[in-house]
Amino acid sequence: MAVTQTTSPSAVWRTSLGRVLTSSQSLVSFGFVLVIWSVVAALKIVPDTIFPSPWATWSALTEMWQNGTMSKDLRVSLGRAVVGFSIGASLGVIVGLMTGRVAIVRTFLNPFLNLLRPIPAIALVPVAIVWFGIGEGSKYFVISYTVFLTVWFNTHHGMQYVPDTYLRASRSLGASKMREFLTVVIPAAAPHIFAGIRLGVALAFLSLIAAELSGASSGLGFRLQEARQYIRTDRMFALLIILGALGAAIDYLVHRIGQKLVHWEQG
Amino acid sequence: MDADPNVGKVTIDDVVIRFKTKQGEITALDRTQLTLEPGTFTALIGPSGCGKSTLMNAIAGFATPSEGNLTLDGAPITEPSNDVGVIFQQYALFPWFTALGNIRFGLKQFKLSKNEEIDRAHAALEEVGLSQHANKYPQQLSGGMKQRVAIARTFAVGPKVLLMDEPFGALDAQTRISMHSLLMDVWQKHRATVLFVTHDVDEALLLADDVRVMSQAPGRMIRHYNLTQKRPRAFSRSGPELLEIREEILGLLRPDEDLTVT
Repeated sequence: MAVTQTTSPSAVWRTSLGRVLTSSQSLVSFGFVLVIWSVVAALKIVPDTIFPSPWATWSALTEMWQNGTMSKDLRVSLGRAVVGFSIGASLGVIVGLMTGRVAIVRTFLNPFLNLLRPIPAIALVPVAIVWFGIGEGSKYFVISYTVFLTVWFNTHHGMQYVPDTYLRASRSLGASKMREFLTVVIPAAAPHIFAGIRLGVALAFLSLIAAELSGASSGLGFRLQEARQYIRTDRMFALLIILGALGAAIDYLVHRIGQKLVHWEQG
Repeated sequence: MDADPNVGKVTIDDVVIRFKTKQGEITALDRTQLTLEPGTFTALIGPSGCGKSTLMNAIAGFATPSEGNLTLDGAPITEPSNDVGVIFQQYALFPWFTALGNIRFGLKQFKLSKNEEIDRAHAALEEVGLSQHANKYPQQLSGGMKQRVAIARTFAVGPKVLLMDEPFGALDAQTRISMHSLLMDVWQKHRATVLFVTHDVDEALLLADDVRVMSQAPGRMIRHYNLTQKRPRAFSRSGPELLEIREEILGLLRPDEDLTVT
């Protein structure tokens, strides 16, 4: 119930991430998987090239760190995700606020946007390559498109559920339509908007890799594809672990930022 | 911002309110005639679903009468405005603003300087005894405190009329009693015309100048009591008449065939 924050945000972030990683439950879980993985690899049921051992994966990871490909791939991929996400999320919020509030915009856009939603991001990659080539443009397009639809949908949805009493209270206090929109409707919809943004971050990752797997010459997705050509499953595993850790860390960060911004929604 | 003693006259002239539903049209409020004189305190009592909230929504400008005229100081009420303040049972405070922020939200329309706005918001909180909770968020306050913030917020924008829809219905008995005396103090200072909807006969008799009893749906006014007992009232010291009226109203609210109301 308490909302006031006595510790600084960075301190909170450090301590809680530390708690997540060191909590006995996650230690047990990670340890368990590592033991099973080591045993299966040591028994050599399947060849090392098909199913790499933890230590082979570790050395592939350090190798990629040391020769610099990992940091370059991370930079390129994160850059794409950030640009695509920013375009998609800001458009999604703006259009969602409009379709949620303005009937005519809703009439023109909603049926069409709802029709687009079920199309999987991967299906767009060929179109994006034809339109924008294999450069950055096609990645930005695929990512911002998927992020846009999710953020739009959640924003629009949140706008529909602004409690009537808030609007009534605002109007009977004499607030203008603009003040009502900015300081009542948007904050009331904010928890939904943030849920959309969090989903959007996960989808940005998903569509980033989808776009990089075909038609890219750099990035984590490209590196996975390259590892396939050389049958380097150790590198693949290392890249998958990096993707998982990165995704979890970013999701956690976004979640914490959301909690700060919509502080009244907890508990 | 204190209301002029000669403004705040609400005239409800032959008002009927109907709603369209899937089952057809229903009459939520039957033909009603009622005048709220400036600065008076009227309590409205009636069984659930009798249309008292519907009437209140119409005066607030949230709903439009199907027939008849609804005016404030002679001008028709067509939409919500700060002339008609509303206190909701569920407080309707904005959880993203502090107590002070909630009051400042209403004051924005007056385009005061920032300092003046803050000063006036503080003064409003002071009036309801919550100055030391100015920077708390609604979810950190008790139910009674929330309703005090809501009262301060509404009076701060200078309403001519104050509508209260079962404002203390969600509070415990002890808190409710202290809210009654707080409301009387603040109201006597601002003198808005009050329409107070309640289920609670005792509450109505202790607070109001005028008690109106409504029938079951479709609602219409069936009884009117004018109370002149000095405030603060109590059943123990305000004379036997109050107790007689109480019995009478309880009888009116108790339909012969069942005991579902009050």
